[in-house]
Amino acid sequence: MNTETGGASSVRRVAIMAGAGFVPGMNAVVMGAALAAGELGWEMVGIRDGFEGVLHPERYPDGGLVTLSPQLAESLDPGGRGILGQSGRVDPFHVRTIDEDDMVQEVDMSDELLTRLKAERIDAVISVVGSRGLSIIYKLHRKGLNIVGIPRSIENDVAATAVSFGFNSALSFTIEMLDRAREAAQSARKIAVVEVLGAQAGWIALQAGIAAGADAVLIPEIPCDLQTVAERLKEKMTPSRDYGLVVVAEGVQFLDSPQARADKPVAASLKASLSPLATGEAGEHVILRSGQAAQTVASRLQLLIAEETQPLVLGLWVRGGAPTAVDRQLGLAYGAGAVRGLNASKNGVMVAFVPPDIQFVPLAEAINKVRTVPADSLFVKIAQSLGICLGGKL
Amino acid sequence: MNSPSDKSSGPTGIVLNIQRYCSHDGPGIRTNVFLKGCSLRCKWCANPESIHFKPELAYAPNLCTGKQACGLCLKPPFPEGAFYVVEGADDKVRVNWDLATDVDEALVALCPTDALDMYGKRMTVGEVLDEVEKDASIYRNSGGGMTLSGGECQLQPDFAAALLAGAHERGINTAIETAFNVPWSFCEKVLPHVDTVLHDHKLSIPERHKKWAGVSNERILANFKKAYETFPDTDFIARTPLIPGVNADEEHIRAVLAFIRPYKNVIDYELLPYHRFGLGKYESLGVVYELDDYKTPSDELVAHLQAIIDEAFGRSG
Repeated sequence: MNTETGGASSVRRVAIMAGAGFVPGMNAVVMGAALAAGELGWEMVGIRDGFEGVLHPERYPDGGLVTLSPQLAESLDPGGRGILGQSGRVDPFHVRTIDEDDMVQEVDMSDELLTRLKAERIDAVISVVGSRGLSIIYKLHRKGLNIVGIPRSIENDVAATAVSFGFNSALSFTIEMLDRAREAAQSARKIAVVEVLGAQAGWIALQAGIAAGADAVLIPEIPCDLQTVAERLKEKMTPSRDYGLVVVAEGVQFLDSPQARADKPVAASLKASLSPLATGEAGEHVILRSGQAAQTVASRLQLLIAEETQPLVLGLWVRGGAPTAVDRQLGLAYGAGAVRGLNASKNGVMVAFVPPDIQFVPLAEAINKVRTVPADSLFVKIAQSLGICLGGKL
Repeated sequence: MNSPSDKSSGPTGIVLNIQRYCSHDGPGIRTNVFLKGCSLRCKWCANPESIHFKPELAYAPNLCTGKQACGLCLKPPFPEGAFYVVEGADDKVRVNWDLATDVDEALVALCPTDALDMYGKRMTVGEVLDEVEKDASIYRNSGGGMTLSGGECQLQPDFAAALLAGAHERGINTAIETAFNVPWSFCEKVLPHVDTVLHDHKLSIPERHKKWAGVSNERILANFKKAYETFPDTDFIARTPLIPGVNADEEHIRAVLAFIRPYKNVIDYELLPYHRFGLGKYESLGVVYELDDYKTPSDELVAHLQAIIDEAFGRSG
């Protein structure tokens, strides 16, 4: 296994696939990669549903691979649903199978995957994946697969890149929904407590909360004291301003809970350490805890203040819809960047957006890191300047 | 009382745990022997550590003293990238479960605080039975014995059969907990040595069974019938883990009753209100619990369904 960093590329035929979990605008990445490959005279194919199209081609009447000619790529709707489809889980090392005796087991099909890719004359794979997917493609790279990763994360928690694909669209939609929640709270004279995505990293909550003019933003990185939040709400609420907006990341931590004590992990260890045993069909192994953070904060706050609280949950809503202009551009850039990397004989790397450049980070350095909100983050300072309560000490 | 067995002979199996003083898994007070490996993937599973055959890594974050105080697992001989810490004040080790699949018992033994552990170990029939036999007097006084559980205990048919036959030789009553999703040839080995068979009727409709438990129930239902008919002198107790929104409804209960009532050796039908005792185990395995949003069934619902069962068994009034 080598992370090559130069030399003439021998790549002629490239496959692109998407990891588990949908984000808006996948077609933009596919377009970027296919068009860039076309410029180099390479052939680009898409693998349907993660690696399913290669591992189980018999399930697809039109074949498990889709040829992505420049003509087809140009005709793709960059705002449309991904042409590649998706799989609930993408882990060739633990493929759930049912044998002839009707018994379920997880089978390592990584060798078969590599063999089949070779049989399809695929020289390299571009993989659009989240944090866990990076570890899986790193394992495939260690087994000899020529692979380049593109970071895709709604939470923007992939540490090696400034912005993961998918984050901006989620952020934009969250802001829109917070605006609505704020107006609804105003008309109902309540305090809206809105839970947004962010089990480990509070970027969406913080940035959307700032944009929507929240009264308080509670993120996993800053364990909160709800008494402090309640005091701030009391200060802000007057007879003429009898509503409020509290934004809560789903991974919120409380100073008075065991999870927030100094000797306990602050970030959700469960999400931080997803196991290969976490098997299941589409979307079934996400943490189904939506609503718990909002419910907890709303019910506890209501005991501390006179006003009524209203828990609301965005949850999976942010995974659908059209991508923003930023994500379209980013998707195209990531796709084209991956091809540029392969053309420069980069292997076992992740494409990273390090403004103003597109760079390449070895997968070994990209895994096992979480991009959380640092205490000295510009967004934290902005929130403080705007009088937004963050609920705890920084 | 028999002398301790020769621990080096006979079949061996992967045992997850031996739990003494159990009172809900067969008659009297019992010792449950949990065998590792299951052929279903029930989303409500309370024993996720029992699903896979091989012994596997478990991690207890509360026992980890962190990188600064220890950090042993961050260096060789532990696999590269298998363990890590994130930036910030919290320096407890985290597990990259995708890269920690090769961590074995020898490596786990290096952890000085036992934060790393293994679920499951290979044992001989003699080793298990010697442990079980420690409570022989309690079994005699309470009418209890040994219950093989899992996982799916029938997936290790030779080991299970040897354990059950050995228990009988030592005068110990036997029971198994099974879902019957195994080839009938496995049942033929195991069932002749069982006094009480506790078996799950999870869902009645094949498509729904596949959705929630991983496979259709057609083979399971066929095994039920064959077992009832082949072993008329064995006691069978049907059970349903009640999960609201999945199977905690009258229709399912009545379907199960219609299935079992023609067989006189199915002596009872028990409801097991869904609990979430397994949650902590999921965390130590790094596995996400799929049914976290589901509630436990209400007392009223359980009472209502139980009344239907009591009526069918002629216990009402």
